[in-house]
Amino acid sequence: MSLKLIGAVLIIAGCGGVGFSMAAAHRREENALRQLIGALDYMGCELQYHLTPLPELCRCAAAESGGCISRVLLNLSSELESQIAPDAASCMNAAIAKTPKLPTRARKNLTLLGSSLGRFDLQGQLKGLEGARQQCRRELEELSTDRDVRLRSYQTLGLCAGSALAILFL
Amino acid sequence: MRCAWKELLAILPIWCRSEVDELGQDTLQELRLRMGLPPELVRSNGTIRLKRSVSAEDLNYVVNTASRYSPWSAASAAQGYITAPGGHRIGLCGQAVVQQGDMTGMRQVTSLCIRIARDFDGIARKIQYGSGSILIIGSPGSGKTTLLRDLIRQRSGAGNGSIAVVDERGELFPPGFPSGNRTDILGGCGKAQGIEMLVRTMGPATIAVDEITSEHDCEALIKAGWCGVNLLATAHAASKEDLYARPVYRPLVKSHLFDTLIVLQSDKSWKAERMEL
Repeated sequence: MSLKLIGAVLIIAGCGGVGFSMAAAHRREENALRQLIGALDYMGCELQYHLTPLPELCRCAAAESGGCISRVLLNLSSELESQIAPDAASCMNAAIAKTPKLPTRARKNLTLLGSSLGRFDLQGQLKGLEGARQQCRRELEELSTDRDVRLRSYQTLGLCAGSALAILFL
Repeated sequence: MRCAWKELLAILPIWCRSEVDELGQDTLQELRLRMGLPPELVRSNGTIRLKRSVSAEDLNYVVNTASRYSPWSAASAAQGYITAPGGHRIGLCGQAVVQQGDMTGMRQVTSLCIRIARDFDGIARKIQYGSGSILIIGSPGSGKTTLLRDLIRQRSGAGNGSIAVVDERGELFPPGFPSGNRTDILGGCGKAQGIEMLVRTMGPATIAVDEITSEHDCEALIKAGWCGVNLLATAHAASKEDLYARPVYRPLVKSHLFDTLIVLQSDKSWKAERMEL
């Protein structure tokens, strides 16, 4: 009987863990997008007033933001400094590849940002940054809609699924 | 002779660096890269071509590394050139993007002309009539910038007051090229605006600018000359007759502000003469 009880607890805990980790991943996605928007805001201002070259710009933006986005920007800066890739987009892809555990949406938006970097004129560059920023904002809004309900649902579903499985097995 | 050779090699496609290094270190004047054709090395002792052809990716690579992946940072990219680290000037050619009559960038770069910046210390010592205001003229590639650079340095070392330089393209004194003890350099600023600013704020005895090309530049120089400042400048003209015939330089010539005219020949020799009053 005690073995059955332990099994049931493990099943419920395992399924609940999946639900909680899904909720945590959701929060990570949100945080990464927020960090990316912060970095893009900073880059836009810095470009407009100082015309800072990209490697320095990425380093400074990394210092301003935090978490995984900061790591990507630092990697991007060192990729740009090493002057191996033919363009900024390839440098960004290499930087993303070097950064593990990057949330999917942040990865997609960083790729989009990479393709907009290295434009010839400042206005074009600023528009590229603005495009990436708007995309991030849209996605963040999507994620934030009914955020609490959704997070609670993931957690509850996990626990309920675990309980259901435990009842079935018992 | 001083040349930022490592900086030059660092911006070239990796596959051609060793060949360029071997074939051109002391003699290379220009490197021309054209899409689909092998790189052309213009040396003082003749021109040679490498074997492999240049691709669009190679051209992008050069533009990106020369501008540190930030062509917009070099405001000049929209005017068709970039100054690479080491002062090497890269001329861009290809499909231009024009908005409301102004060129804003390049959609596709198809040719590049990399002109190697070299610094020869002491060449300006040989100039006759080396004091007062000097105008250096010559055709492209004749060595106007090189001579002006040393002239600035010599004059700065001579101790006749400070010398202010408007180095719009960052070609005159890139990092590593000494500028003298009394030289103040205003980089990245347009010549006309820069001259006016320097006269007002720096109190220079001499103002130096490279490549006067517009009426605004001439007007600013004339105004500075009237303020009692000596002028050092270069201009595109193959001969004295050319200079006098070009309408853009007419006000400058008529102002009689320049004491000496130095005419550079394509073989880098020059002739100094007094400007006619």
